[in-house]
Amino acid sequence: MEDFILELKRAVIEGEDDLAQEIARRALDGGLHPTAVYQAIVNGIQEVGELWKRGQYFHSDVIMSAEAFWASAAVIEPYLSGTETGGIGKYVIGTVAGDVHNLGKMMVVTMLRVSGFEVIDLGEDVPGITFIEKVKELKPDILGLGCYMTTTMLEIGNIIKSLNDNGLRDSVKVMIGGVPVSQQFADEVGADAWGKDAIDASEKAKGIMGVI
Amino acid sequence: MTELPHVPVYTLMHDHVMVLTGVPAQKYHHDAKTLVDTTVEVAEYYRTDTWVAHLDNYNIEAEALGARMVYGEHSEPAIDFRDPLIKEPGDLLKLNTPDFYHDGRLLYALECFRLMKDKKKGRRSGTFCGPFSLAVALRSYPLLIKDIRKRPEFVRDLLTFCVDDVIIPYLRVQKEYSGVTSSGGVNAWASIPNLSPAEVKEWALPCSLLTTEKAREFGIEARSLVADYCEERLENFDAGVLHQAFDLQVASAGKPLLDLIMGRWQDYPLQPVLDYTAKYREQGIRVPVRIAINARVLRDGPVDRIVGLVKRFIDTFAREHELTISMHPPADTNPDHIHAAVAAVHTFGQKPVRENLDEIEFTPPRRESFTEWQKTRRAITE
Repeated sequence: MEDFILELKRAVIEGEDDLAQEIARRALDGGLHPTAVYQAIVNGIQEVGELWKRGQYFHSDVIMSAEAFWASAAVIEPYLSGTETGGIGKYVIGTVAGDVHNLGKMMVVTMLRVSGFEVIDLGEDVPGITFIEKVKELKPDILGLGCYMTTTMLEIGNIIKSLNDNGLRDSVKVMIGGVPVSQQFADEVGADAWGKDAIDASEKAKGIMGVI
Repeated sequence: MTELPHVPVYTLMHDHVMVLTGVPAQKYHHDAKTLVDTTVEVAEYYRTDTWVAHLDNYNIEAEALGARMVYGEHSEPAIDFRDPLIKEPGDLLKLNTPDFYHDGRLLYALECFRLMKDKKKGRRSGTFCGPFSLAVALRSYPLLIKDIRKRPEFVRDLLTFCVDDVIIPYLRVQKEYSGVTSSGGVNAWASIPNLSPAEVKEWALPCSLLTTEKAREFGIEARSLVADYCEERLENFDAGVLHQAFDLQVASAGKPLLDLIMGRWQDYPLQPVLDYTAKYREQGIRVPVRIAINARVLRDGPVDRIVGLVKRFIDTFAREHELTISMHPPADTNPDHIHAAVAAVHTFGQKPVRENLDEIEFTPPRRESFTEWQKTRRAITE
């Protein structure tokens, strides 16, 4: 059984999505506790994060590992209760209207999940009104707004203004991210935090929840 | 272009032009005359040195081949990577060379290049999507990376298609229709760390070289950059990897030439660049270096920081390299920042470049708003 755990972790680190999924399935069929199986892929992706931080992994490596993580998570999650995957807090995330870039968001979602957040991904090209409705409906701790073009980044200010206008701003922390934005832009539009990359975003989100 | 008396400033500012001039996104991305006229007008306002028709370069060929696009109300079009054109490797066989006069917005792009070359200071150049980035545009980045690892033969077929069936025929039409003599390939997907240096060498470099070689046969200088070094995590800056990136850039250009475009050059140390060019300088070769003022710095300012950065770049490179300073201002950049940057380059970069730039007095220009400038200009011309 220990072999399954190590093999699964290695498959995630090496970005072998098909293999990771197969091992996860075999581990569950073999009677391993789902929490232990899930922890193996979390450990794997966390090690990938460390390799990335140390400059030993390039984006192509990280993306393949994220794919392996999600492929195996899809097999494991039906056996888990919500607490194993979302104990820290609720995080609603999406890419703003006019913007369909999803690569950076996928990496952020991955790091948030392994950090213990329940993540609700609204997807890409999300109209401003949808963010407002989802904040009302889901009452997240944090709203994450992503943009990847200098024209779509302007939409972020509009969404934060709408949160204010709807009396929701004090109920949710707002984080922003994406290639064109900066801490200064976050300050200008009144966001609570800027995540410069997926690792930074997950660390700041944990900071907001008071778990660092 | 005639030799300028100062370090040249090169701008790539289509998002900024659209927002500054208030042209609706749909019109801007479909009407070539509007794009060219507004680009030239804004370039004149900022007094930049050369004008190039920059459009949404990553989209044009993929859209013409049938890639699904998202047109934002206020933003540039984007390929919908959630639904890539090549969903399965077999889909490649369904694709054919586009009709350059009818498919997608190819004619719009060709018109942009044609109109721009007729403008005073306009370059006779076009643009295209570099082969590796075009492969990403058709397949999406995660799927293409997976293909590289699991289906390398398919990736080779895809890159061959991109070069032989799309880019080369497109470059021929750029020459015939638009009269361009050179064309620059955008290729951000082939940058580091999007790919490792080894991946760039194996997958992005050969198809870029092939494009250059084939285009030269019919008289176009076509080069698509590979291995722009843009590590965002400053703590991961690695001079060794940077030098590998430079080796790949030099191989791609066929001569010593360095592009420092997307990285955090306001924060990276510059000495590793000098270390790399030392071997050329010892032979008396002035290596062309194109370095960008980071887009976020240009947007966020303040002016003093931008001017300081320009001065540092010029002080480090201008005396022993062929320096060009590049600017890619984001959509809502404060025009004062761009005016200051252009004026700083023209002042500190006056040739011959002084030994001590601190001896040069510089005050950022006080300029009228774009609207006021337009009114004055129209009053004069009318």
